[in-house]
Amino acid sequence: MAPNLRLNAVAFISPQNHPILIRTFAKQDEHSIKYHYIAHTSLDVIEERVSAAGKATECYLGLLYAMEDVAVYGYITPLKVKIVLALALSDSVVRDVEITMIFKALHMTYYSAISNPFLKLNPPTDAAHDHSPYLLVGSPKWKNFRMRVDEISRVVGNTPNAVSNP
Amino acid sequence: MNSYPPELLAQLAPIMFVAGLDAFPTPSSSQPSTPTSTRANDFGLLAARLREALQAQRKAAIWQPEKTKTFQVILVDREVRFPPRKLVSQEDPQYSAAHSPLSPLTPTSPLHPDGLIAPIWIRKHTSLVPSVFVLFLRIFEFPPSNSGSPLDAPDSNRERERELEERKRDAELAAEVALRKKTTNERGIKLTVVLMATRRMLDDPTLDTRLTFIRRQSGLDSRAALFVLSPVSPSELGEFVKSLQQALYEPALEYYTAHSKRVRRKRNRHSQATSYPIPIQGSSNIARPLRPEGWTVRYEYKMACFAEFRGEDEVALKHYQDAHSMLVVMFGSTAILPPRTKRWAEAKVLADCIDVKISKLYLYNNEHALALSHHNTHMRIFSDFSRGWGIGEETFEYWSWIARQHRILAELLEQGTRSTLMLPVHKPVSAVSNASLSASQNHNSGSRGLAAGTLEVDSMRSLGINPSHALQHPGFYYYMAAKCTEMRRERFLTALELENTQKSVMASPGFMNEKKVDHLTIILELYTKAYELFKKYTIVDPQNPTQGRLTLWIAYQIAHTYYASAKYDMAIRFFERIAKTYRREKWGPLLHPLLSTWHACARELGDVELRVKLLIEMLGHDAVEEDAPTSYGEDLVAILKSTVPSSDEVLIVDISESQPIFDSNVVFWAPEVKVGESAAFQLSLIAPRNVPVSFLPISSLSIYFSHRDSPLVIRHQDSVAPPSSFQLVNLTNVASSPEEYGDVFANLRWQKGGCFIFAGTISSELPTSLKVSRLALTIEEGTWKIEIPFDPCGFRQGLSPRSRWLSSVDPPRYLPIEREASSSVNVRHRSHALTVSLTHESPAYLNETYPVTIDITNIDTRPFDVVVDVLLPPIEIDGAANTIILGDERSTNFIKGVPFGVLAPGISAVKTLYLVNTGAPGDRVVDISVQSRSTEAEADSAEPECQDLTETLRTLVIPTVDPIKVSQTISYTRGLAEWPGLADLNTFDGNIWNYSRTSEALVRTTFESAGPSAVQDHECAKIVDCSSDHTEDSLSDYFPGDELSHIARIVLAPSDVEDGESITNTGSYHVNWRRIWKNGDRGPLATTVVPMPALRPPVEGLLALLSVPPAATLHVPISLILTIRNYHPSRSANVVVQLELDASDTFIVAGLRSGRVPILMPGEEEKLTWKLIPIECGHAKIPRIKVIDRRPVFTGGAEPTSEMVTKGELVKIVDVRFDQRPAHTTGTKNDVDLDDGALGTILVLP
Repeated sequence: MAPNLRLNAVAFISPQNHPILIRTFAKQDEHSIKYHYIAHTSLDVIEERVSAAGKATECYLGLLYAMEDVAVYGYITPLKVKIVLALALSDSVVRDVEITMIFKALHMTYYSAISNPFLKLNPPTDAAHDHSPYLLVGSPKWKNFRMRVDEISRVVGNTPNAVSNP
Repeated sequence: MNSYPPELLAQLAPIMFVAGLDAFPTPSSSQPSTPTSTRANDFGLLAARLREALQAQRKAAIWQPEKTKTFQVILVDREVRFPPRKLVSQEDPQYSAAHSPLSPLTPTSPLHPDGLIAPIWIRKHTSLVPSVFVLFLRIFEFPPSNSGSPLDAPDSNRERERELEERKRDAELAAEVALRKKTTNERGIKLTVVLMATRRMLDDPTLDTRLTFIRRQSGLDSRAALFVLSPVSPSELGEFVKSLQQALYEPALEYYTAHSKRVRRKRNRHSQATSYPIPIQGSSNIARPLRPEGWTVRYEYKMACFAEFRGEDEVALKHYQDAHSMLVVMFGSTAILPPRTKRWAEAKVLADCIDVKISKLYLYNNEHALALSHHNTHMRIFSDFSRGWGIGEETFEYWSWIARQHRILAELLEQGTRSTLMLPVHKPVSAVSNASLSASQNHNSGSRGLAAGTLEVDSMRSLGINPSHALQHPGFYYYMAAKCTEMRRERFLTALELENTQKSVMASPGFMNEKKVDHLTIILELYTKAYELFKKYTIVDPQNPTQGRLTLWIAYQIAHTYYASAKYDMAIRFFERIAKTYRREKWGPLLHPLLSTWHACARELGDVELRVKLLIEMLGHDAVEEDAPTSYGEDLVAILKSTVPSSDEVLIVDISESQPIFDSNVVFWAPEVKVGESAAFQLSLIAPRNVPVSFLPISSLSIYFSHRDSPLVIRHQDSVAPPSSFQLVNLTNVASSPEEYGDVFANLRWQKGGCFIFAGTISSELPTSLKVSRLALTIEEGTWKIEIPFDPCGFRQGLSPRSRWLSSVDPPRYLPIEREASSSVNVRHRSHALTVSLTHESPAYLNETYPVTIDITNIDTRPFDVVVDVLLPPIEIDGAANTIILGDERSTNFIKGVPFGVLAPGISAVKTLYLVNTGAPGDRVVDISVQSRSTEAEADSAEPECQDLTETLRTLVIPTVDPIKVSQTISYTRGLAEWPGLADLNTFDGNIWNYSRTSEALVRTTFESAGPSAVQDHECAKIVDCSSDHTEDSLSDYFPGDELSHIARIVLAPSDVEDGESITNTGSYHVNWRRIWKNGDRGPLATTVVPMPALRPPVEGLLALLSVPPAATLHVPISLILTIRNYHPSRSANVVVQLELDASDTFIVAGLRSGRVPILMPGEEEKLTWKLIPIECGHAKIPRIKVIDRRPVFTGGAEPTSEMVTKGELVKIVDVRFDQRPAHTTGTKNDVDLDDGALGTILVLP
């Protein structure tokens, strides 16, 4: 029986590479800044993977890197929102299917969160910052997004791996 | 890697000893070579080259996966001695019981009594004992006789002397070789002798016998044991070296195989024996003998090494693994290996080295996951052991060891990537790719294991990867090593502190050693290595050449290390570079800790101005919770109060790159104002909510506008009232020149989240775009004067809130301003007041010169110069060729710049635009542009938007209709004139119009609402007469709905025209007309051309024309004439005519009742006449006449039946009085009017 996947942190990054939401599930201590760095540095690998793949990019980018005690996975939505997942490193095979499933759930969470019409209640007048309602979604004002991301993390942590590794 | 004995890590290769090359002195090129020493020089050069070539074969290295048959060559002295196998001499009776000097069983051995394997054992096999021994010797050559000429007879004396000498010298040589052969044979080492000879010697016929003699005498092997080499070129020498190694590789392998076999025998013997005979020692508690597990490790390790010598990587891997697992077993028991002993430390080193070897052998095979898996397992197992040994995670020893493990892996990978190792890319396998594709992608090298095993691994791989088994570039492992070293330093510092506080003398030798270690230098070295590798592996996108974020992250760690090692200037240089990217990426949480460390550096260095800059920048960042939120501002004020600036100049702190302190926005009420009008604006500055800025000694706020150079300065004025959270500062009208406007005073102290609104108006005398170009805060404290310029529209969170307009002060209410670019206003000229009226009487008629009156009136107070452009856009109507005429200009598309002159206020100008439309009816569009230019404004203004110009656009849609509605109907009649005879010569005269055999067309044309016409001729048809002849020049007025009908009779020539073709272009009506305007004026004369319709006369066959007078008088005879015509172009006709009288007939008939008409040739007619006398009044029916064509029509195929012949076909009889037919239509040409009885009536009058 393989151990459960444990999410340490989830990061949503806007197409312009600004952080939308960085949520850490590990202890809320000095490590939260560490996941900022992880999210930031993984952009390097994401950009590298995306440019290498050309136009036929799949959303799921796979393992970006493993550093210290986390394995970092990446996902890019068709509208170039990047989702970065920091998993606690454990000595077992991590099935791509499961990671993709988590990413899809996170993607849907983001998608439904930005569908909130109240995000556009105070639209910015500057046309150049058209994306900014999507940055707002991560602000502390909107709790639903965070709650749903936390819920995903909880469910992932409680669900044993569907298939034990042979 | 340097922390481990190199012998235990290096890749092993067969060892070759080369002796005898030192006997030849290296030629020194500086000395002029004398002729006598030339030969010696030749060999010296050869020997030097040989030494060079042989030593270049292989370099001792850790990563060397090549499997070429090369040797590790060691140059030795000719008299080299091998280390003794055993300590006792062979003659000694104890020889068989004695052991090797390195064995733990030998009391003098360093391993006695329980050592495992010492590096000295490897050194013995890599430098003291070879697998092959190559001896270079010079064969004796008798000096050639230089006195005698070749023609001299052989000197027998000299020959004999030479033979004797050669034999003597060869025997000496063989003896020397035999001596060496004896020592090598003892150890099973292959001996090969290379004899060096001149080229001349190679051709000597006696050489073969001499060589055979030497070999026999010395007891050399028959194969690959004796070579002869003469001085050759370097390339040939290379060939020789290669072939020498090829020939000796097999014996070398045999040598190492023999060793392996010996060790395996010992191991088997040992494992069978339950207890190894333990030599009884006096004090067994001090020195316990090696345990069986230890012996297993020893034997396995030896076998692994010998396999490695042989290049059998898989065998070596297997033995190394066995050795490693046995070592783990030994470590598991403190009884076998008591911790913190010398043997324990040795074993630990051995285990680490074996782990490196195993990882390396896996990596040779590109089995990354297995290599990493083994390495991780090794680290995990020994970490677990460490806890048991009291050197767990809380000790620096533990982290030192972990760091060493990461570092050695990094170094191994670094060496590997320099040669053959390829790093995998961990991209997910796409779901669509099949198994084979994934196999080729993931395992391109392909493991050499079983196919089934590979497949299994591949299928696992396609499911996902184990992140801890994913090989990454060595930079990651250097980074890990650096991180672990940081941990090690941390633990060490803790221990140091403990020592200082407790004053306990617990100084273990390890701790004393640790005190000598410069941790920070090690950390820095590791981070620098990681940084270089990360930089090397960053794929730089040419379009976006940003430095990699990963490298910045490492650089940040380096900067921190510099900070920790008090190299503040170095740290600052790193911070400057890193902050640039982090600011650009607007990733505040990353920037914040960086800035505070940077500030700490600046504080250490005492750079006050840098501190001020950094503190101001940090004010822009939201405070992190644990920080005292007031600290930055207070620090800043404290610095300003306690220090003086280095220079008197104003310190400018440009924070436009980073987050601003205030949320600022500029809103203009209106998007556009006129010249001279004032535009209302509001500038809002909102202080951060969680960073207090109220104590900042702000002295003034400067607002720079785009249209003037000097700023509007708002100066601080202390007020007794506490700073409020909302303040409105009224700037009233901001004049364009500063002289006219004094400074404004306000209390520039913001509360947390406080909002200041500066409201005012601004105006411009020129058309332009007004905006606030920048803002600048000035902080003054003592001698400090700091200016902080910032963007007028900047937001702390990087999000632009919507623009809003303060509409009520108490309570503050805002109106949203929903437009783009609300922070600027456009100033424009006032538009000119002109009325443009266009009058015309719609609709226009085609071909008419249609007038449109353009009436422009200036209702402004200024005079304008007015110019009109007219555009006639192309329209998609058939045959539409439209023309516009305005003044003297005439165009089919565009008339530009028709001057209307300068219009004073109240004056109007009128011009008429004419439009001529042809083609089909439909709507015509005309665009009229009236441009008015102020006569006051300077005309030479370069920028078009600054010119005082107003353009009024009008679009006119003119429906255009036909002036006359024309409908035409055509009917055809047969010509009644007598046909000329068949051979009448007149018919061939082209000049004479042949009226005969024609038909006539009657064209009835109906005009609706229009005037007179004219007619034209045509060559195939001739208009005989028409009604217009009589009405020409008769002008009359026609009002809508009025109709004029007109009939033209056209004679058509015999049917020369082919079937179905129509006669066109027979003529046209030209209708000249004038429009009568509503006021009764007549318009210009216009002409409408109406062409005659196309004529399609019907095609005839055989026909009978009946001609009777329409009326008769009772009892007065009348003639009934029947003309039978054969219109057919080729068929003759056989016609029978019957006139049948009926009892009810009211005529008495005189004439043929029944008879046969002579055969009618094509184009012939026959006329029959009857006399009728009416005997009753009223409409009398014409007697019934039957005309039958006896000649049947062969429709081809079927024979004509007799019935058809006798009966014949009825021929159509046409009463000429009613002769009218519609146009010919194909397909109905044989229609016969079978209503033969109803020929009509004659009105009989009394």
